[in-house]
Amino acid sequence: MNTRERFHTTMNFQPFDRLPILEWAGWWDKTIARWHTEGLPVDVKDRYAICEHFGLDVYKQGKFVGLGRDCPKPVSHGAGIMESAADYESLLPHLYPHDLVNPRTWNAWADEQQRGDIVLWFTIDGFFWYPRRLFGIERHLYAFYDQPELMHRINSDLADWMLLVIEQVCSICTPDFMTFAEDMSYNNGPMLSKGLFDEFMRPYYDKVIPVLRQHGIVPLIDSDGDISVPAYWFSEAGLDGVLPLERQAGVDIGRLRREHPTMKFIGHFDKMTMDKGESRMREEFERLLPTAAEGGFLISCDHQTPPGVSYRDYQVYLGLFREYAEKAGKRSRQAIRGTT
Amino acid sequence: MAKSLSECIIKGDHAGAVAIVKDALDEGTSAKAILNDGLIAGMAVVGERFKRNEVYIPEVLISARAMKMAMEVLAPRLAEAGVEPIAKAVIGTVQGDLHDIGKNLVVMMLKGAGFEVIDIGVDARPPAFVNAVKTTGAQIVGLSALLTTTMPAMEGTIRAIKEACPDVKAIVGGAPVTADYARRIGADGYGADAASAVDVAKGLLS
Repeated sequence: MNTRERFHTTMNFQPFDRLPILEWAGWWDKTIARWHTEGLPVDVKDRYAICEHFGLDVYKQGKFVGLGRDCPKPVSHGAGIMESAADYESLLPHLYPHDLVNPRTWNAWADEQQRGDIVLWFTIDGFFWYPRRLFGIERHLYAFYDQPELMHRINSDLADWMLLVIEQVCSICTPDFMTFAEDMSYNNGPMLSKGLFDEFMRPYYDKVIPVLRQHGIVPLIDSDGDISVPAYWFSEAGLDGVLPLERQAGVDIGRLRREHPTMKFIGHFDKMTMDKGESRMREEFERLLPTAAEGGFLISCDHQTPPGVSYRDYQVYLGLFREYAEKAGKRSRQAIRGTT
Repeated sequence: MAKSLSECIIKGDHAGAVAIVKDALDEGTSAKAILNDGLIAGMAVVGERFKRNEVYIPEVLISARAMKMAMEVLAPRLAEAGVEPIAKAVIGTVQGDLHDIGKNLVVMMLKGAGFEVIDIGVDARPPAFVNAVKTTGAQIVGLSALLTTTMPAMEGTIRAIKEACPDVKAIVGGAPVTADYARRIGADGYGADAASAVDVAKGLLS
């Protein structure tokens, strides 16, 4: 199987040769800087060059942010760039850029995708994340109650912009999957209630997801934290799956799979084990193997590999990943033949 | 009065809460009764519902805002009456970490429970924590971290605080922090969430 065939086969719960070996999130810049002192060639800097250096399956990602290049920047981390409807009106010329799909880049990626050499995906600012960019973290959370009309207006405009971006991308190729960047959960579950999700986010998913499906793009959601409760909301909203499934936040893939038999998952390998030695990492792969062998779940680091992980640690991780990727593939084929 | 005031806090009705506090004071209700039976009682309900995932962060924020605005009216009368906070707590996000929403929630919940809170902000180095504890006489210090890379700063910070102020009790919390980690670094308590942090703080005082 080539890279692309393997993605679709595995994600569609069909028997596969081996699991994809991927880094969906790349690595922290501090991690790469550390590895440059430990054996990673210093001229290997680009995310996809690093993938090739390690022999990973390459998943190329477009990112669409709803802010123009000339948009004002927040004054500090978590601060917003607006407070009111009047501010939003003033910002509009700087929002929802129309020139994000670079034809040269996307045509080159499309060629690689057609050859099966890569999986092609994109991420777009979602209906929780984007208003938070605009309002700032805390003001956004108040805005559900203080400025509901403005919240709806922002998400309506955002949905319209998403449809434009999707049409532009699909005029060149059909990405294999996409993610709505949301980050709407934390250790204790979702940051908002189902009531607020249904009122402020669901109507806009209802507008965009059918278009993604018409084009054949698999819609996933990117939310850090414990998504065990909102996984039901995502499913109702028509989303096909979730990443990154942070283990330290309390996510359990076995439980998720029991509760969502056809949902697609990416991530979940506990990054906190990656500097704890081979034995600990092997335990982690053993935990994930049964669910991965059933299909619909691509093991990957449950966020960016942190700088506490050495170059040597990462090579141990990859060695184990290759071993368990083969084991999962073998089990998937045995299951179909009824020989487990 | 108390029940109506609590309801306003629970619903996040800041205008209603302020009006009831003004009326109650005009009618001669003691500031302490307004605080304990109305405001703190209302925030306690919010805290319990938050722990049970019946309300979420937006609801906690609007409730805390209602309490804060009501307290602005009540505070001078509490001072006149000599009503003291139940304890003082210094709260900050550790060195290298710029995240504040978790810390801010803990600040709100502690204030809602009757603590005086000294918020030293984000990216707070050990001397900032030590100075704040020394100058305020705080009994509790809370440390927040959201990143695996900033979490290690907690251990050094706790060591510095304990060397300077051995009697102060340290609570840690944040996304990558666990109860086991808290024990290993010498913290006195672990707050799994903002509401639980209040319970832990109260427990450490008794």
